[in-house]
Amino acid sequence: MTSTVSASGLSLHYGGTRALDEVSLRLTPGVTGLIGPNGAGKTTLLRVLATAVPPQRGEFTVLGHDPGSLRGRQEVRRRLGYLPQTPGFHPDFTAFEFVDYVAILKELNQRSARHGEVRRVLDEVGLGEVRGRKIKKLSGGMRQRVALAAALVGDPGFLVLDEPTVGLDPEQRMRFRELIAQAGEGRTVLLSTHQTEDVAMLCHRVLVMAGGRIHFDGTPAELAAQAAGRVWSSAERAPHAKAGWRTGTGTFRNVGDPPPGAELLEPTLEDGYLLTLDGYGMAVTA
Amino acid sequence: MTTLVQPAPAAVTTEPRNAWGAVFALARLEGRRLLLSIPVLVAFAVYIAWIVWHTLDSYHGFPALQDADRDTQSTPLLVGLAVMLSVNQAVLRSRRRDTERHFAVLPVNTWRRTVAHVLSVVPAVLLTAVCVGVQFGWEALKPGAVGHGSLGELAVGPLTVLVCGALGVLMARVLKSTFVGPMLVVFLLFFFVLGASPQDGEGTRWLNPVVGEGSSKTLPSDLLGRPAAWHALYLLGLGLTLGALAVLAGGGRRVRTCYAALGAALSLLLAGAFGQSGGTPASLTAAREKATLNPEQTCEQRGGSTYCAFPEWEPRIGTWAEVVDGVQGLAGGTAKDQKLLVRQRVEARYGLSSDGALETLDAPNEVTVGTRWGGPRVPEFSSAVAAVLVAGSEQEGTSMCDGRVVTVMWISLGWQDKPIDELRNVRLDDSISGSAIVLQPTSAISMSAAQTDVVRTLLTRPRAEVTALVKKHWKELTAPGITTARAAELVGVKGITEKNGCEE
Repeated sequence: MTSTVSASGLSLHYGGTRALDEVSLRLTPGVTGLIGPNGAGKTTLLRVLATAVPPQRGEFTVLGHDPGSLRGRQEVRRRLGYLPQTPGFHPDFTAFEFVDYVAILKELNQRSARHGEVRRVLDEVGLGEVRGRKIKKLSGGMRQRVALAAALVGDPGFLVLDEPTVGLDPEQRMRFRELIAQAGEGRTVLLSTHQTEDVAMLCHRVLVMAGGRIHFDGTPAELAAQAAGRVWSSAERAPHAKAGWRTGTGTFRNVGDPPPGAELLEPTLEDGYLLTLDGYGMAVTA
Repeated sequence: MTTLVQPAPAAVTTEPRNAWGAVFALARLEGRRLLLSIPVLVAFAVYIAWIVWHTLDSYHGFPALQDADRDTQSTPLLVGLAVMLSVNQAVLRSRRRDTERHFAVLPVNTWRRTVAHVLSVVPAVLLTAVCVGVQFGWEALKPGAVGHGSLGELAVGPLTVLVCGALGVLMARVLKSTFVGPMLVVFLLFFFVLGASPQDGEGTRWLNPVVGEGSSKTLPSDLLGRPAAWHALYLLGLGLTLGALAVLAGGGRRVRTCYAALGAALSLLLAGAFGQSGGTPASLTAAREKATLNPEQTCEQRGGSTYCAFPEWEPRIGTWAEVVDGVQGLAGGTAKDQKLLVRQRVEARYGLSSDGALETLDAPNEVTVGTRWGGPRVPEFSSAVAAVLVAGSEQEGTSMCDGRVVTVMWISLGWQDKPIDELRNVRLDDSISGSAIVLQPTSAISMSAAQTDVVRTLLTRPRAEVTALVKKHWKELTAPGITTARAAELVGVKGITEKNGCEE
């Protein structure tokens, strides 16, 4: 499949910290998950790709436009939808007014067409009924949907979502997954998340990031397969396991190097993620 | 940077995108929000209420439009402060609400958003201009209006709002603190309202947005000497300069257009500042001297009298003639047909910086009328006419203190609809008993307590009855040296024993 976003050798240092270290990637239409521990550089990568900060080294293009030039950056921004981590809102605006405001900042100038587009995205995220309600009166989940609507307005070709499901209850998270899946139809979505379930359910591809580098780039099934033969069940906690926890059945699920004759289990994406990080010397916590 | 791969087609909106179109769309949205913000709504409500309250009875219905235009300047400052506060908060909104991280990656960047915020002030400026227009138009439509307003003076109110708004945006971009706006409002309130408005040098005082005058007198519009157009240009330049600086502070430092705009705005500012600091030209000083001592006026015959007025006051001649007719209608002897020369006079030599008094005329049968009219000015002129008819000249009339004052005040007030009210109006202390000074256009006469009692009594009696007595005894009543007691006796008021009001 043709790449819509391509990056090569992106590096960004904050003081002595390597936030991004020679990151290269290619994104294609559909939802790509970006997972990694805190401080892995996920948000920095997203901010670079969203043109919020320029990389110190490396190059990238978004939908054929080079954000290194003023004109190119403008073209990228015209095609970009961005949902930042813990997005801010103008509480005295209604949902409609806020998305309309963002739509103007996305250069949707023609009033009637813009209002039609705002109504469309609010309907799309299920807020059509409450579009006239002030944001300060909306629940956390509804606000998050307002932020998604603001990212979606103008039909962007590249959607950058930074941990959009944080703080949502299970029902809201399910609803949000539905919306992200819908958003990924026909456009490129880069979804940063701590929720491996989100990746498993939504993404056709997953990137595992740690220490400013990408350590895995493949499908969710391939990531899960990283743990094939390395997940087993035992009656007691296995002392040499990288991670182990008691499951609901009372047995322990262990991840690591199984002892001979261990009862192997089907690996999950999370198991693969843990072992990927472990393989690159990252701390694994369970 | 090299393109690494062939991109797939982006999702496209069919609408053509244009950065400046977005700036104007944003300015419209922010402008609407600004007008609907609580401080601006309250300020406009107070402003409009003030216009109605003030204009209903301003200038007693006889405005000189060259004064009325300056009346529109101070109150818009209230709107300006509200706009400054609200636009300051609007600019800081994205910072306060943490939407900046999102907005920073949208096509309309910070400096363009700053331009939109500066432009968002324009609807408030235009609404202020409408209010100024309504206030001035109302004055101009009053039947007693004379003179000419100045567009430059009328522009000051709206431009003050522009300056305040641009300052609010600049403060938000430079200091980025939500407390600065309210603090600035408080400071400017103290500065402008509580007397910090400088009355210093002619050049520096024009650096203020609203420049008041030390005098309440009315001059012909060509003698005002206020550099109104230059000042409007200065304010426009100041507003645009502050706006351009705000845009530069908002990220426009790398945009050449912003520097060009700043350069153009500074040019306007400096041209206006230079133009308004020129002082009083020699030609104006000469014109003021001439208008004071030897004015070129239009003269008109009405009845037997001649009325000479500055060109802008010609429509008032009929009103003056009505007063003269009223006074002469109550006079007796030759006074009732005396031909008077009513001359409009003004002390213009000091401009509007001080209230210079006019000297009394010593030529016989000449009466001074001022440039203001309505309210107490009518009985003041009326008493001056009466004094000349009784004493022969203004100079004689103002030194009079004997019983003739009774006759002067009767013929001055007796013909009016509410003579007791006019008696109160014409006296300096607004009293109708006791001794008091009676104002006239050039000087004043004094009324003793006894003379006041007699006049007040006469004003409550049937007019025809008193008129008949006054006309019958006109010669004695207007004879120099007549005592107040004798005058009272002649007009049928008893119990007055005062010999001479001059002794009081």
